[in-house]
Amino acid sequence: MSLVFRIILIVASLLTLVFMMRKIRHSKVQIEDTIFWVLFSILLLVISIFPGLADFATRLVGVYSTVNFVFLLTIFILLIKLFLMTVKLSQVECKMRELAQKVAIDNNIKDKKEEDKE
Amino acid sequence: MKTLIVIPAYNEEKSIVRVVDDIINNYPQYDYVIVNDGSKDNTAKICKEHGYNYVNLPVNLGLAGAFQTGLKYAYLEGYDYAIQFDADGQHRPEYIADILDEMQKGYDIVIGSRFVNEKKPFSARMIGSFLISFALRITTGKKIKDPTSGMRMFDKKLLKLFANNINFGPEPDTLSYLIKCGAKVSEVQVTMDERTEGQSYLTLTKSISYMMRMCISILMVQWFRKREKVN
Repeated sequence: MSLVFRIILIVASLLTLVFMMRKIRHSKVQIEDTIFWVLFSILLLVISIFPGLADFATRLVGVYSTVNFVFLLTIFILLIKLFLMTVKLSQVECKMRELAQKVAIDNNIKDKKEEDKE
Repeated sequence: MKTLIVIPAYNEEKSIVRVVDDIINNYPQYDYVIVNDGSKDNTAKICKEHGYNYVNLPVNLGLAGAFQTGLKYAYLEGYDYAIQFDADGQHRPEYIADILDEMQKGYDIVIGSRFVNEKKPFSARMIGSFLISFALRITTGKKIKDPTSGMRMFDKKLLKLFANNINFGPEPDTLSYLIKCGAKVSEVQVTMDERTEGQSYLTLTKSISYMMRMCISILMVQWFRKREKVN
């Protein structure tokens, strides 16, 4: 890996971390939802500073090249995260539906009661 | 001084009557509100039948959401103090007076703590408590002996913050943030009962993930939050 590329990697992962922290700072996101991203961006930073770690893990697993291993791992982690987000989105949609139904039915019941009074 | 006891309840049909009747009969000087967090059991029905003062959430929001509902209620109803109180009977209302006394000394948050005078036992269950205490210590310089205690009282200006902002869960990481914002925190010795009905939602895996979340939040995330002026 060339020195320039390493510097680009380090700067990019630092910027990622800063970008996420800025969003947290301005309360745009719930803390429990940021834990994953904090850990993930730290992992990026660590790997960019110590690429030897990735080489070591690659040899340990028996993958041919480090690049392949890093890509594989990243795609896998993001795949799982994507799935978890789909689960969460489904739950949010269910809750939203329940709330809308509850409000609508409650209004209907209230209106009928008022009509009965009149 | 108007004080509100906020009781978040999720599937607490077995214990809610005992806990709330105790407050109504023996401590009528305090107001209370039950926040039924979309329970799947008969918690809401029981509250209605007994004529309790309760807020019924149509969907489950989790402890943080239920607690915020209670504090929003306290804020909108103009209460001076609100205390978080478990629906499972772990907390004893007799200590609320002591906590209120401590509040009068000018504190913003008072924790009903198990370990002011008594030593924290060194058991597996307490490892988490030790770690969170340590994290709070190095980030705020304050010694909080029982950071995971769920019995915390907040004063009026904090009620407003809790009611209207995100990331104000009833957890130690919020404590760490508030101390950094200048909130004055104190602890009062209380005794807590073991829960007698139902089971704690904290299983081993959940405890570990809770601990990890708290430590990462306290040690890394809370630093970056924009601070509100508390004092």
